[in-house]
Amino acid sequence: MVDINVVEAKGTARPKRVIDRLGLAMRASHVLVALFVVAALIFAAVGVIQDDRFFLRLGTEALIFAGLALSVDILLGYTGLLSLGQALYFGLGAYVSAVVLKEVPSFWAAMAAALVVALVIGFLAGLIANRVRGVYFALVTFGLAQVAARAVYNTRSLGASDGLIGVPVVPIDLGVITVMSNSPAGFFLFTLGFIVVLYAVCAYLLDTPFGRVLLALRANERRVPSLGYSTRNLRLSAYVLAAVIASLSGALYPMLRGFVSPELLFFTTSGNAVITVVIGGVGTLAGALYGGVILTVLKSVIGSLTEHHLIVIGLLFMATVIFLPKGIMGVVRPLIERMLRGGKR
Amino acid sequence: MSVVLEVRGLGVRFGGIRAVDGVSFDAESNAITTIIGPNGAGKSTLFNLISGMIRPSSGKVMLRGVDLTGRPPYLMQRAGMGRSFQITNLFFELTVFENLRLAAQRLETTGRFLLPVRRSERALARVHELVERFALAPKAGELAGALSHGEQRRLEIAVALATEPSILLLDEPTQGMSHSDTADTAALIRDLARDVTILLIEHDIGVVMDISNHIVVMHQGRKLAEGAPAVVRADPAVKSAYFGHA
Repeated sequence: MVDINVVEAKGTARPKRVIDRLGLAMRASHVLVALFVVAALIFAAVGVIQDDRFFLRLGTEALIFAGLALSVDILLGYTGLLSLGQALYFGLGAYVSAVVLKEVPSFWAAMAAALVVALVIGFLAGLIANRVRGVYFALVTFGLAQVAARAVYNTRSLGASDGLIGVPVVPIDLGVITVMSNSPAGFFLFTLGFIVVLYAVCAYLLDTPFGRVLLALRANERRVPSLGYSTRNLRLSAYVLAAVIASLSGALYPMLRGFVSPELLFFTTSGNAVITVVIGGVGTLAGALYGGVILTVLKSVIGSLTEHHLIVIGLLFMATVIFLPKGIMGVVRPLIERMLRGGKR
Repeated sequence: MSVVLEVRGLGVRFGGIRAVDGVSFDAESNAITTIIGPNGAGKSTLFNLISGMIRPSSGKVMLRGVDLTGRPPYLMQRAGMGRSFQITNLFFELTVFENLRLAAQRLETTGRFLLPVRRSERALARVHELVERFALAPKAGELAGALSHGEQRRLEIAVALATEPSILLLDEPTQGMSHSDTADTAALIRDLARDVTILLIEHDIGVVMDISNHIVVMHQGRKLAEGAPAVVRADPAVKSAYFGHA
């Protein structure tokens, strides 16, 4: 096998230099996600010992919103598309899951439905949104989500402004073990595993030639056609992938809370997901997970002190953009990269 | 010598202006065909028509006997057309390695598109080959944006060549280069012509006369003359339009 990283080692005494920076960055993200998982497992263990419900369920919610942030990062961090309407797919997944679960309490049926609906709606909306770029793309995605939110808000059979309540507890049959969606620790661990799988799928795809061309799209869209790729098809693929990730994350929401409300589709949800990614670190995937936890915990903690928690989150967002433009991962990941590179010598 | 690229009556109108008007010529295999002409003669527009960036209003573009007229740029590329740009058009925030790897990916089967990057061994081998040939090996891990102008111009050619095209369209490769860099680049292009057919736009008339096998002279959107360097140099119409009183 050809190892590109030994280009310079041939016939020289110089140490190997890593030439595939993107591969290295992705490996560093894996390390950070591994640390995240360890921390989450310790948190779960403490939660079980303390017989806690509140924090485990808050942690589960953080993970679910981290899944939504992951989908924003695929678009913003890897493809260079700012979506201000990713809540459309998150809410879609949540509503589809709630509707299915109220009819048939089967986890896998709910997931399959959320997947199929995201593929279809993502493809159709993607055709519309990808006709334009930049600010206009942001506005169209925003508009699409608003339309969906309004439609749900005014549809009585979907509970209108009240949302759908009474989603039953579902058993999640994983073959070897069955997790009940109302078990705080069990569902937390399941959600952790689920989000790690979503991360793994994204990380795998983004480290293939497909994913690298998405990065090329972000770097210089005009050059991509002369590499032999249709920019429209690529952007559409990224858009549908992000729709699926958001929808599958959203599908877990009614299992946790037992209800869905139109707020899940509102701009606040989309906007928070973008803020999550920016705080965590755009284009790192791992940042979406860390950012998701930070934002959810802050919202809850500050929200219990003052009802003006949005002001605090807004200030935090501004501070991040000014002082840490690459987010938390922008500070942490280079350290891990250096460690990994050191280990290779 | 066989004909690789046939351009027949190619033209485009922007509003009422014929930017390129009925241009025909052939580019022969493993030769350097150069398009020259004063500023505004329509050289870059002609390139954009050939590579599909602009849809022609008339005429035909045939590559190895296949009619490619009106295809979008990405299909032109797949059909074997490689091009570089007058204004350096790279992925500046990606490494030299990644710029080349992205282009070389086209050499792989479609199935590798969704496998990890390291599995695309042929593309990686091609990158190795190119960084050596273009003297970019020590810079492979650098970001393209951090290279000197001369290095960026070299990388621009290397990226266009990475896909092993049937024809390489080079739009002013020596643009903004120092005298010695220009000479090196001219030697490099002549060397490349041993393996690939080259269609060139070039302003440096010394370089043009030195390395071209065939010259097409454009003036106000039309083809004014064509032929071997000596023939074109002696043409009175070319003299008055392009060389002035030389």
